[in-house]
Formats: sequence, structure tokens, C-alpha cells
Amino acid sequence: MALRTKAQALAHLRSVGGGFFAMRRWAHRTHLAGLLASLAAACGTGGRSSASRSLTLTDDAGRVVTLAHPARRIVSLLPSFTELLFAIGAGNRLVGRTTWCDYPPAALAVPSVGDAIPPNVEAVAARHPDLVVLYRSAQNTQAGSQLERLGIPVVVLDLNQLTDLGRAARILGRLTGRERSADSLARVMDSIATPPQPPTPGPYSLVFIVWDNPPIVIGAGSYLDRLAALAGARNVFHDIRSPSAQVSIETIAARDPDFIALLSDSATVPRYAARPEWRVVRAVRRNRFLLLPGQLFGRPSPRTTEAVHELRRRLEAAR
Amino acid sequence: MKYLALAAAGLGTLTAALLLGPADVPLGDIVRSPIVWQLRLPRAVLGFLVGGALGVSGVALQALVRNPLADPFLLGLSGGAGLGAVMAIALHFPGPWALPLAAFAGAVGAMALVYRLGLMGGGGEGGELDPRVLLLGGVAVGAFAAAITTAIVSLAEAAELRNAFLWLWGGFSGASWTTVWVMLVYAPAPLVVIAAAARPLDLLVLGEEPAQYLGADVRRLKRLVYLAASLLTAAAVAMAGVIGFVGLIVPHLCRLVWGRLHRTLLPTAFLTGGILVVAADTLARTAVAPRELPVGIVTALIGVPVFAVLLRRWTVS
Amino acid sequence: MDGQLIVAVRDLTCRYPGAARDALREVSLEVSAGEFHAVLGPNGSGKTTLLRAALGLLRPAAGGAGGAGGRVEIFGRPASEWSRRDLARVVGVVPQREENLFPQRVRETVLLGRYPHLSLFGGVRAEDRDAVERALTACDAIELGDRWLWTLSGGEYQRVRLARALAQEPKLLMLDEPTMSLDLRHEMELFELVRGLVDARRLGALMITHHVNLAARFADEVLILADGRVAARGTPAEALTRETIERVFSWPVAIEPFEGRPQMIPLRQRKDVP
Repeated sequence: MALRTKAQALAHLRSVGGGFFAMRRWAHRTHLAGLLASLAAACGTGGRSSASRSLTLTDDAGRVVTLAHPARRIVSLLPSFTELLFAIGAGNRLVGRTTWCDYPPAALAVPSVGDAIPPNVEAVAARHPDLVVLYRSAQNTQAGSQLERLGIPVVVLDLNQLTDLGRAARILGRLTGRERSADSLARVMDSIATPPQPPTPGPYSLVFIVWDNPPIVIGAGSYLDRLAALAGARNVFHDIRSPSAQVSIETIAARDPDFIALLSDSATVPRYAARPEWRVVRAVRRNRFLLLPGQLFGRPSPRTTEAVHELRRRLEAAR
Repeated sequence: MKYLALAAAGLGTLTAALLLGPADVPLGDIVRSPIVWQLRLPRAVLGFLVGGALGVSGVALQALVRNPLADPFLLGLSGGAGLGAVMAIALHFPGPWALPLAAFAGAVGAMALVYRLGLMGGGGEGGELDPRVLLLGGVAVGAFAAAITTAIVSLAEAAELRNAFLWLWGGFSGASWTTVWVMLVYAPAPLVVIAAAARPLDLLVLGEEPAQYLGADVRRLKRLVYLAASLLTAAAVAMAGVIGFVGLIVPHLCRLVWGRLHRTLLPTAFLTGGILVVAADTLARTAVAPRELPVGIVTALIGVPVFAVLLRRWTVS
Repeated sequence: MDGQLIVAVRDLTCRYPGAARDALREVSLEVSAGEFHAVLGPNGSGKTTLLRAALGLLRPAAGGAGGAGGRVEIFGRPASEWSRRDLARVVGVVPQREENLFPQRVRETVLLGRYPHLSLFGGVRAEDRDAVERALTACDAIELGDRWLWTLSGGEYQRVRLARALAQEPKLLMLDEPTMSLDLRHEMELFELVRGLVDARRLGALMITHHVNLAARFADEVLILADGRVAARGTPAEALTRETIERVFSWPVAIEPFEGRPQMIPLRQRKDVP
């Protein structure tokens, strides 16, 4: 029984993905990311009428998605997708969002379909969408197939790394018929995610702490690792390839980061900072906490440049 | 001989727990290093105390409910502790000790409820604790608490709450000298109560009626042992979350090696539980460095094969 | 009545919690040192209840027809005032059922009989080990000492359980259907053993049994229960009459004397079949 409960607990954690804390715990998925994506829209003029307007593409789950016309009623089930849609000028097509989709402010006017952990299929269907954008995860697979059985087109996309942003923007652009603005956004995103010169290792080091007991930190599999590097800070757990991992306080102390970064909308340091075992870590003793607001840092988004600047500003201010 | 092996294993694991770790501490600095003094040593001592407490509770509860499958966490305590932890996060209890305290309160609350149910089941004669009802009540209260916990987590739209589950399966990251002292002050009372019940527990294994004919005050015995074992487990869960398999496997392991008399079973279960947990935690910290494994998984990975080997040896002979 | 009065049950009325009727109704019984008492009666007639009540596990009913529910005294003291530990030093019981949850050896289980004599944190003394060996010898079970309990045959197992009760060094033995599912030889050996202990050590013995004939052969006194009431009480010759047995057990029988004691022969009902 104990093990089953544990599995449930982990399932809960994984599903936090769509949420406020986008520091996610999906393991073993780095290798798969992006491999399946394909923009080559091998347009088989497949039988349907108005073939000139119909769209066919393969999504990140390797599924072939066909739309009769550009999507006009979209339900977005991940805050990053919502931001991307607004950024490419398709925000007015949104008819449903998650409770976590809080940016841009105009998104709040779109009806919510719940926390999407897992997606509430009925609430989504009730919005009569002609496209549902779903984040690719094991938990969402079932909802995806249920929606398809209802005849609602579903596109499943990866969104874990900064490099995923450009590709996702292009796919969403195609699906909404806004290829041009999507392409210009994607070029910006790509240049940030994979700059011509690799970012020089910055003068600072930091650790992202997701949770304190047991300590869970961000690894190279998360967009935050790259985001820190762009801001000139080295993630001391860059050697961990998964998005996040449990480590011991001792390891954190041994890696001796200059800063402790955490997603927090509060201005006060976390309460574990007062616990004796944490005070072995130098940055905790020196109270070097970077409290990063979740709306900006909690997910990969078109505002990545803004996030990078903000982090750099805070690092330099804290010097 | 068997005791010597146990003592050697104890010293060996404690030494390993102090010497091994992801941070490089030169041998000469062992005594002065804050890594050893503030992290490894309190963690090893707390692990030993928690493992010992779980081993002893397991022995006592298996005899009490006369069910070899009984585990200290079966009696609703983990559910209660989880509810307490989630409440602490949801209601923003302040202070660095809010979580463990709330989890302890939750576990004790669940224990009180199960105890009350157990008394109701005892044939209505006012206060006979029925072990079968304890087991069923424990499962029911645990499931109920887990349901409320899940409801809170899914209704409250704060993803932070989901991390309460992480805390519940935490392990020894929260170890410090403060926690060690709390445990050292707290644990002796329930341990002495259980130790004093060692002989009556031997009798209770025969059944409640035979135990009474052999001189055990069964009614009092059941109450004391249940409360003491539950309070020990509640402290363990508050300190380190739910560490599975220790309370289930250690008693059987000790029974296979040392026989079924509780006078030897209780101390050996304390030592074996402590050793198992410290060894598991040391492995959890070092095996996949820089990452760490959840300690409950390692206790199962060590405990179950050892148990299987012993079980085989014992059934063959 | 040649010995000291050990247990005295007077006008005992008992009712289980929530039950519609009394399990025992105005039952009286006295067992003295050196006496072998047998309790007979059909299933559900209250035999085991009487044993429980006689040892204070079941309180007399608060208010029966005759006022209070009677009294139970052991060595002149109300049973409810005895601690379980003190009582276990004077009464050894072989209950009908017990559990064997975890494997144990014969000597270990007999040692449990010494527990009422041990102090809280004190160890097992040499005299306790002697008592265990003596009890095993008395029950002809000394060669079984190192065996696992679950390897014993039914007869061996009952001898070991009797040895455990003897290790308590009691003044009174109580046995609840000890010969259940034993074959003829083991039945007879057990009755002989109990009779021998009563005679040699001047123990009191109370045995619940279904064996009317063996009770008649071995017991000094017989108590027959029917529906929680005393149907007959006295020496075998006084209690075991044809009328009583036919009424209590609802079956026709004949009673024949054998070596001065009555023996019951159940009759066939269908006389037409040869």
C-alpha cells in the first residue's frame, strides 16, 4: 500500500507541470524531446473538401493532425501555450485556458476550464473548441485520446526547454494561420535558446531549490538551467541531466553555490533557512536568496529575454 | 556470536555513515568538519533512532494485532501525518518546525480516532480494545485522512501543496541535533512501556484468552502497547516521513534469527531497525551521487532480499 | 470433600453483552484439592462460559431474578479481586483454542507457564528451568522438548499444553475439551494423566468434556449443564441417570454399570434395521 501511495504522490508531482511551478519532475524524457517533432507538412491532399485550406502536420507525439481550416476556437492547456498564442496575435481565438494561465492580463478574460491536472475533458468539450493544445506528458495521454473520440482535434506539444519555444510557436502559427508573426517570434526565441556563441560561464553560481525536504534541485533538463546560464550564472547541478532531482543538503553544501534561487511570489526567505541543517550551506548562512516571481520564471515563455534580464539584474544587485 | 555480529554491523554502518558522503571530507578533518558534525552525524543518529523505533513498534504491533502483516503505518498514522503536513502548508503555519509538528499532531489524531474505534468494537463491555477493529479502523481512518488530504490538494489551487507528499516520503534531510535531542527525550518513555510488556506480549501471541490464563492483564496490555507503539511511530513519521518495510520486515528478520521471545526480540529489533535505516540512508546519499534516492526505496531494496534469504533458510531447515 | 476448597461458584448468573438471554443461570460448583470434576453438556450449554466466569473473565450479571448474579470465590477471595498474575500462579488452564502465529519450540512454550512467577525485568531462573523439565517429565513429553510446536501430533500437542499449565505450579487445573479430535489411546492417556496428577499431587481438576463415559470412569464429581442451567450434579452414579442424559442430550440411551460406575450406551432409533 505504501508504494502505491508513493506512486500517487509522484504522479501528483509530475502533473504540477501545467501549474504555477513549472519546475517539473519528469525524468528520462530529455532524449525524446523534440526528436519526434516535424514541421514538414507532407501535404497529402487527403480526400477532404476544401483541400486548399486544410492543414496537416505531425505533432510532438508523432500524431498526424489535420484541420479543415485554421483554428478559431482554441483551448490551451498550458500557460506557456497561452502566452505563445497571445504573442503571435492569436489570443482572440482562445475560448478556454487553465487556472494557471495568468499572463498576459487579457488571458484572464478567457473562461477557465480548471487546473488541467489532469484536463477535465467535459469542461474542455463544453467550450466547443476546434483545437485543443495539450502538453505532452503521460498524464495527458488519456485526455488527448478522449478528446479525439469526441471529434475534437488535439495537438500535443513538448515544452520543457527554451529550445522548444521556437518550434511550438511555429506549429501554433501554422495551426492558426499566423505563420508570419509566429516565424518572427520563433526566430527571436531560437536566437535566445541557441545563441551564435555559447553563453560564457558567468561569474556567479546558483542552485535552484524546488523543495527543501527532501531537497529537490533543478538540473540541466530544465529551461531554468539555460535561463541561468544566459543570465551569467552557473547552475551547480548542471551535471544532472533530468529537469529536477533529489539531492542531499551535503551535496549542496559541497557544491557551495553563491545563491539559492527559488520560485516564490513572497518577499520573505523560506522558513527552512532558519533550520540548523540548512545553515551548513554558505549561501543560506549569508542569506543569499533569489526569490523569483513565478509568473515570469515559472515556465518557458516568450518573455524569456525579460526573465534573463531580470535574473541578471538581481544577481548584480546582490553582489 | 549473533550479538557480536549485530554489534559489529552497528559500528560498521555508523562509521560508514560518518565517513561516506558526496562531499569530500579529508580524514584529518572528520572531527572538525561541519559537514560531518552538522549533517552526517545527526542524520546517522536520527536514522538509527527512527529505524529502532519502527522496528520496536513493528514487533509490538504484530504481537498486539496478532497479524504478521501488520506494519506500524497500517494503523492510519501515515494518513494522519500526511493530512497534518498538508494542513500546515495550506494554512501557512509559521516557523521552521511547523511541518513536523503538524504531521505529528495529525498522526496522533489518527491514532486517537483508531483507538476510539477499537474500543467501540470490543463487545460493548466498556473498554476492551479489539485488535481486529484496530486494524480495520486503522486502514479506514488512513484512507479517510488520505481522501481529505487529496481533496485539499486538488481543491486548493496552490501547487506547493502537492509537495507535502514529498515531505511525507521525505527521509532524513531534516535531521539536525535539535531533532536528535527531541527524539532522545521523547522515545524512552514509549520504549520503556513496550519493554516492560515484553513477557506479556509473548503470552498475547497465543491469543487473548490464553494470555489471560497465563497471567497477562490483557486489557491494560493492549491499551499501553497500542498507545506506546503508535506514539513511537508518530514521532518517527514526524521526523522522517513514512519509511516503509522497516516495521514490517525487521520484526520477522529478528524472529527468524533470535526466536520469538520479546525480551530478546525488542532490543534486537531496535538495533536491526537502526542499522537497516542508517545503512539504507548512507546508500541513498552515496549510491547515485550527486543525486539522492528516497530512503524508503532503499530500505525495501535491502530489506526484502535479506528477508527472502532468511525466510528460505528457515523454511528449508 | 477431603481437601481445601479452591474454587466456589455460587448461584452464578451470567449474560454476554448484547445477548438476549443468560448464558449461565444460577449455577453452583465447588472444586477442592484432590478432586476431579467433569463438566458435561451439549454444545452451547455454557460449559466454557462457566470456566471463564470461574476465573473472573466474565462478571456475574448485575441483577438477575434472584437479585445479584451470584458469587465466584477462589481460595475464599472474590475472583474479580484477583490479579491475572496471582490467579495464574494458582490456576493452570488448558484452553480449547490458542493461536500459533509465530513458530516456537516446545520448551519455549512450556516456559510461558513460568511467566506468572517471573519479575518484571528479571531473568529466567534455574528453578524456572527445573519446573519446565519437571512439567515435561510429568506429562511424558520430555523427549519433545526441542521440537517445533507445529511438528507435533494432536496427542503430543495436548500433553505439551498440559505441561505448560503444570509449569505454572497451580493448585487447580482447568481443561476445556482437551481430548477433542484425539484417538482412543491419546484420550485415555490424557484422562489417566490428569487423574494421576490429581491423586499424586492433590491438585483440583475441572475438565470440560463430551465424553460421558470417560467422565463417569475418571471423575469424582460430574456437573451436567443444559441451556446454562444445572441439569444434574453429584457423583457419576448420582448425576448420570438415563432420564437426565436423555433429557439433556435429546437421545435415547441405556445406562449399564461397569466397575461400579455408570456407562452410557446410545441406542439406535430405527429398530427395524437389523
